[in-house]
Amino acid sequence: MAESPFDALLKGESGRNTRGLLRIIILCTVAAAAVSSRLFSVIRFESIIHEFDPWFNFRATKYLVENGFHSFWDWFDDRTWHPLGRVTGGTLYPGLMVTSGVIYHVLRFLTIPVDIRNVCVLLAPAFSGLTSLAMYLLTSEMSTSPSAGLLAAAFMGIVPGYISRSVAGSYDNEAIAIFLLVFTFFLWIKAIKNGSIMWGALTALFYGYMVSAWGGYVFITNLIPLHVFVLLCMGRYSSRMYISYTTWYALGTLASMQIPFVGFLPIRNSDHMSALGVFGLVQLVAFADFVRGFLPGKQFQRLLTSMIIITFGVGLVGLIGLTVSGVIAPWSGRFYSLWDTGYAKVHIPIIASVSEHQPTAWPAFFFDLNFLIWLFPAGVYMCFTRLGDEHVFVVIYSVLASYFAGVMVRLMLTLTPIVCVAAALVLSYILETFLVISPQTFQAKSRDTSSESLRSARSPVVGISSYISKLIMTSSVVIYLLLFVAHCTWVTSNAYSSPSVVLASRLPDGSQYIIDDYREAYYWLRQNTPANAKIMSWWDYGYQIGGMADRPTLVDNNTWNNTHIATVGKAMSSREEVSYPILRQHDVDYVLVVFGGLLGYSGDDLNKFLWMVRISEGIWPDEVIERNFFTARGEYRVDDEATPTMRNSLMYKLSYYNYNTMFQTGQAIDRVRGSRLPVDGPQLSTLEEAFTSENWIIRLYKVKDLDNFGRDHNSAMAFDRGNKRKKATKKRGPRVLRIE
Amino acid sequence: MKIFHLIFSLLCVVSCALCTGSSSDRFEKYQSLSRFGQLDLDDSSYEDIISEPHDYHVAVLLTATESRFGCILCREFQPEWDLIARSWNRGSQKTDSPRLLFGSLDFSNGKGTFQKLIEGKLMLQTAPVLLLYPPTVGPFAKVDPTPLRFDFSGPISADQIYSWINRHLPDGPKPPLVRPINYTRLVSAVTVLMGIVTLFTALSTYILPIVQNRNLWAAASLISILLFTSGHMFNHIRKVPYVIGDGKGGISYFASGFTNQFGMETQVIAAIYAVLSFATIAIAMKVPRMGDAKSQQVAVIVWAAVLLSMYSFLLSVFKAKNSGYPFFLPPF
Repeated sequence: MAESPFDALLKGESGRNTRGLLRIIILCTVAAAAVSSRLFSVIRFESIIHEFDPWFNFRATKYLVENGFHSFWDWFDDRTWHPLGRVTGGTLYPGLMVTSGVIYHVLRFLTIPVDIRNVCVLLAPAFSGLTSLAMYLLTSEMSTSPSAGLLAAAFMGIVPGYISRSVAGSYDNEAIAIFLLVFTFFLWIKAIKNGSIMWGALTALFYGYMVSAWGGYVFITNLIPLHVFVLLCMGRYSSRMYISYTTWYALGTLASMQIPFVGFLPIRNSDHMSALGVFGLVQLVAFADFVRGFLPGKQFQRLLTSMIIITFGVGLVGLIGLTVSGVIAPWSGRFYSLWDTGYAKVHIPIIASVSEHQPTAWPAFFFDLNFLIWLFPAGVYMCFTRLGDEHVFVVIYSVLASYFAGVMVRLMLTLTPIVCVAAALVLSYILETFLVISPQTFQAKSRDTSSESLRSARSPVVGISSYISKLIMTSSVVIYLLLFVAHCTWVTSNAYSSPSVVLASRLPDGSQYIIDDYREAYYWLRQNTPANAKIMSWWDYGYQIGGMADRPTLVDNNTWNNTHIATVGKAMSSREEVSYPILRQHDVDYVLVVFGGLLGYSGDDLNKFLWMVRISEGIWPDEVIERNFFTARGEYRVDDEATPTMRNSLMYKLSYYNYNTMFQTGQAIDRVRGSRLPVDGPQLSTLEEAFTSENWIIRLYKVKDLDNFGRDHNSAMAFDRGNKRKKATKKRGPRVLRIE
Repeated sequence: MKIFHLIFSLLCVVSCALCTGSSSDRFEKYQSLSRFGQLDLDDSSYEDIISEPHDYHVAVLLTATESRFGCILCREFQPEWDLIARSWNRGSQKTDSPRLLFGSLDFSNGKGTFQKLIEGKLMLQTAPVLLLYPPTVGPFAKVDPTPLRFDFSGPISADQIYSWINRHLPDGPKPPLVRPINYTRLVSAVTVLMGIVTLFTALSTYILPIVQNRNLWAAASLISILLFTSGHMFNHIRKVPYVIGDGKGGISYFASGFTNQFGMETQVIAAIYAVLSFATIAIAMKVPRMGDAKSQQVAVIVWAAVLLSMYSFLLSVFKAKNSGYPFFLPPF
């Protein structure tokens, strides 16, 4: 009896309206869930920029808002990479900063008084809401049923693989780039389905936006040509494809060349050559297709063969010639390390040293994707049943992205969207099959039984007959979905919501204890040092010092100059006598080291020390030797058995200087490396301790000025300690003739 | 007194002439021996070649290539070492490069030397080790006759070793490191390629249906996805062990720790994913196509049970790797 009012709502014109309304409500709810699950960090800590790179983006955004677009474009930053400076305007992807600048100005125009910091902090959650909408659009192109799109949007909203880079405060390029990635792919699918110039141009437009936002645009640059190439190999050439691809390539390349950092790379760099090659290939195929109409079969065949051979030969010779003559740059290092997995380790230690560039172990996949990871292959299999142009795209994307995600942890981000699409495809199909009340509805939808289709899809669909089966499947799917939501919430709250600038730990009574050493030290710098005091630290902390302490740094996370980084590494890993001239030459006023020994904070400089040694060994192989930092048995030790090189290195001294005074004699323990330290702590002569934060995580040292009497610091220290005379008498011995 | 002085100086000159003569002789002798590569030394020739005085550099690789010593690094590096020696010997005849001999001393031929080196001040502890003896007389002589050593901390290429040696040699023209082009490989690659092309054109009527078979492509892409998402690339890059013992005589299949894994572990995980995916495919594609109501019911129950138990097992494995993980499903 309750059926009649529902019937009016669910059938005919009003039924369509009701469903549309429902869809909008669901999408809004999904977007709200996506935004709110990213707010853990703001609620638990405060509205703060996270980690390292976001601090630079934040600083750049502030510069943009204060000085306007044109001076941002021409920005030369003399407060980083001292004394070199950095042409910041020409060496960054400006999309992120410009986006938040525009949002900021629009909100101001609407007389909403908003702080630029809050715009930056909340940009990533806001864009994740948009990403789930884009995901709905993309998945709806793949499937006839709208429920797949809704499921995919929900998956994308809360999947940890995406949340990991888009929580509130993680103001990084990926924050907007994933939305642009998904939306560009949606537009591309639209373009290739319709063959319209409008969709192709829109794809190019958003591709240009993507290029301005993230270096990962190379993924799109290669995936779309690959899609077209595979379609050509499958014999699916059509004018739709020709129109959409050429429109995208011509406009998209022009758009991408407007970014100063990209410049002429799209026509010179090998990363972009596949797009150019497929562009040429499409022209040839189009020409052949055109000629076919005018020539008899035999002649056409001969023309085609000769044409293929000639173009292949000319192309190969040209490519080799241009590469040898240096017009086309070789593969960029980061990209090359994707294919030859041993490459980075041997040739570019600075890339190998970044933990984001490590390969992915299987728990990371499950951690980031939960049950989507096993729905994913099933979804890809589903794509093979119909195998339209758009399904080919899903298959190529899946295989490529899972390879990339396996090689590099950070590329999990590009895999996540396609996993959501594939999983939503199969899960929505299951739900639609098992949620139908009467079994007859599917009878009509039997598929074609041609031999080309998959074996499992040959017999006609009859539907599910028993209610028990429906109940079992539906309830288990619901359980898995609930588990997924619980998993995502748990992962987000436990793993991905820490700002890493502020650390949290639990006291024995269960209450939260906030470790705020970083900001403590950076604000000390800000308030107690002159505005142009140069700070030397390992490159990891460069952006944070620039952003929070507002002091010039020697090196930072934009690792454009390996030699400069190696110089810092050499200063850290050499004896004081060697380091001091380096520090003087670079005008260093303060040296900052991160030390976790007291607290057991494992991400400290001594654990990164070997990378400093390795990177500087690459430049000065005779002066810094990695082997000397290991004991004879090949162990990396900091206790009594540490090698002399290790114990005399500046980094060791700066980390453990005065650390003994915290403990009783001989009881000093390093909690990270779990070892007891030597009874006598290291002595410093050319630097003096300036500040140590509450938990000893940050230690700051002031570089001493030259001695007033012209002595070297060692003898000045000895004089202050009062043992100058003894040394002077002892040294006087019989005269010896100097040999050599 | 004067005569004595004269005799003494004469003796000096003679002995000096003798010693340089013998040093040059030795160099000529060993160089002619090593025309086609490096010298295989034993105890006596090793002593002879580095006996003072000598006016040439000696680079000796101390190694243990026999399989019973289990030194994989030694065996991997040996061809690279041959390559360095060969390109040096070939190139040094044309250019006026520093005098340098290459040799390798295998443990089985030079137990005495190894013993001496282990007890001596070099404190040799691992193999392979590369020693570079500077000349003791002549224009490039060093005061300290102890050799420079290069310790191998991992697999290393010939180029790295070669640049290390070059750095420690006096300035002057040095022959470049030449990697010979592997002609057999080139020819065989071309032959195989042409063979494939010929085969394809000849048998295209049989091969084309296979290439165009959708099931085959589906299987290939699914297998590669399963491989990649179960951490195969990690094994490939980090060269993790297949399995290791648990110290009690058994085998531990799963590595402890979240960022660690074994080769077998990833295969188990890939198999679990495969079963789960296959069950999902069966439920989505096969079950709705079954005409018989009874068998359909049975199939649904069986596949749902497989799904549940496998997923629960996966969760339990994941929980073991990541001890703080709070979620689980009933059976396991």
